[in-house]
Amino acid sequence: MFIGFFYTLKEAGLPVSPTSFLTLQRALEMGLINSTGDFYTSARTILVKSERFFDIFDQVFAHHFDGVELPDFKGMELDEMFRSLLDEWLSHPKELANMLGIDESQLAKLNADELLQYFKDRLDEQKERHEGGNKWIGTGGTSPVGHSGYHPGGMRVGGMSRNKSAMKVAASRRYKDYSCQGTLTESMMGEALKRLRHLVPSGAKDNLDIDKTIVQTMKNGGEIELVFERSLKDRLNVILAIDNGGWSMDPYIPVVQALFTHARAQFKYFKTIYFHNTIYSTVWEDPERYRKEVQIEDLLKNDPETRIIFVGDASMGPYELIDTDGGLSIYERSGKRSIDILRTLSKTFPHTAWLNPIPKEHWHYTHTIKKIGQIFPMFDLSLDGLEKAVNSLMVK
Amino acid sequence: MSQGNSQKFEGASRYVLDEELAQIVNISMALEMPLLLKGEPGTGKTMLAHSIAQSLDMELIVLNVKSSMKLVEALYQYDTLTRLNDSRFGDSERDVSNIEEYIKMGKIGQAFKADKKTVLLIDEIDKADTDFQDDMLDVLDQMEFDIMEIDKTIKAKNRPVFIITSNSKKDLSDPFLGRCNFHHIAFPGPKMMRKIVHVHFPEIDHSLMESAIDAFYRMRDLDHVEKKPATRELINWIRALQADPDFHPKQLSKGQMPFLGILFKKSQDLERAQSQGGRVYR
Repeated sequence: MFIGFFYTLKEAGLPVSPTSFLTLQRALEMGLINSTGDFYTSARTILVKSERFFDIFDQVFAHHFDGVELPDFKGMELDEMFRSLLDEWLSHPKELANMLGIDESQLAKLNADELLQYFKDRLDEQKERHEGGNKWIGTGGTSPVGHSGYHPGGMRVGGMSRNKSAMKVAASRRYKDYSCQGTLTESMMGEALKRLRHLVPSGAKDNLDIDKTIVQTMKNGGEIELVFERSLKDRLNVILAIDNGGWSMDPYIPVVQALFTHARAQFKYFKTIYFHNTIYSTVWEDPERYRKEVQIEDLLKNDPETRIIFVGDASMGPYELIDTDGGLSIYERSGKRSIDILRTLSKTFPHTAWLNPIPKEHWHYTHTIKKIGQIFPMFDLSLDGLEKAVNSLMVK
Repeated sequence: MSQGNSQKFEGASRYVLDEELAQIVNISMALEMPLLLKGEPGTGKTMLAHSIAQSLDMELIVLNVKSSMKLVEALYQYDTLTRLNDSRFGDSERDVSNIEEYIKMGKIGQAFKADKKTVLLIDEIDKADTDFQDDMLDVLDQMEFDIMEIDKTIKAKNRPVFIITSNSKKDLSDPFLGRCNFHHIAFPGPKMMRKIVHVHFPEIDHSLMESAIDAFYRMRDLDHVEKKPATRELINWIRALQADPDFHPKQLSKGQMPFLGILFKKSQDLERAQSQGGRVYR
């Protein structure tokens, strides 16, 4: 029974095993499951082994038993969409002016930054309005348009009722915050911090533990056995390099910064530097990228064991990366190609990671992501990605 | 081994149980599978095992896992030091040549040897190395283990009700997860919290409870807090508020928050709560 359900779960990316499916059958046979509610609870407790997958389970359950349209797990992500919309609008200034409710002459007075800010503010307003109205739409949870075309009228989302049906429980997606796939949010902070705790060095097992040696020797009846402990090594130096140039990065910067600020006590040395899109001959210590310049030569003087963690979308015009004068700023004319500087960094510091807030599925759309991904190990800015990044940073 | 199958778990006096969780506990007991519970601290993972034992009138055996623990310590211990001492001084009643007298059962061993079905709580299994879980697979499958020193096999007389908790510091291994049923206890909502508070303070003043719970959830919503206050902190906080003769529930809705140190245990969090506290109340 329910073989179709089992395979839908599998296709949605939930690691379900045949053994656990058989256990579920056993439960059915024993007469332990007498209602859809029972089935929902039991199937979840038996089949799903991590709260990260509860959300997918809920969605598949609602899909399979109530015909709710399954969200397209590979759908275009919000950011990508706005980016292309913005591109389009910028090439039709008149429409843009209409969109933003100001006339064209006023629009012409705004400089690019002001324009982006204005545009962003409007987007935020729009986001709030739609989010409040319906939680079900969109894979990222913030999509204001619902690209999967699902019409929410059929389900009472978030309706209050004392008698909660399994369908409603599943549809309310209580576990969305626990899902590991989404980009890091404030509510995942605790979990993310736990993953960062692994960012500690482990030395070789070369310290003699005298107490354990005595106990072990006695257990062996006098035959001497030496027990060694890991020696404590110095804590790590960590440099966090943040791309705070484009508005696409803005939602993620506070989360990442808060994350590392909480964790900084476990590092020996911690510093944040800023760049825009990619790194040329200078980076900055102040978020405005104006006052405190750090020359790349000075950055390279850091201990090679330093862990450098880049946070950025790595998305830019290809020329910014590979032209000799690709820098967006007019002061940036070092004559070096950014891609060469990135390569030098990666050679000097063997332990680096690049965290990218863009979901992994979309990376292949962008040329520069691929390029940078070849230089630095790149991970998506999610709980899973963070865990993998920490693992890769700790590899010898 | 299956004498406990007809028993059903319906909650206990000091524990507020939601229906979903009761169903999960019952199905795990019926299938004789260990139940793995995850969830943030203060969601009552450990309390659940206590209340199962209480309501089904079984003995509760608690194995508190420690970071350096090996599975064999949980099964049995061979007390070599006492034996060495006995053989040196010879002033004890024990027979030095009989190793069995120096074997002590660990928590799992005790649960296996018990005459009645027990509840075995393995608390915070994620603290130990993955070896610990891997070694446990066999024990869970076979319901028996060997004592190597005396070449004897201990079989479970009654299969204990296994409750395993994890704070998800580390991910558990796949084969281990495969043998468990899983549930994640979400943090209780205000409605549930009212019930929980009521269980602990049956005679609490209504307005105090309402304003304290209200304030508690707002404090949990503060940004950038590393360790959010949990149920335990709330209970202690209410206890402190009740004990303070000068305190009046209206203070909370005005934004005056006494004893914040009970809710926030990290100095950074406390500072943040104090500075943001005022803003929460518009």
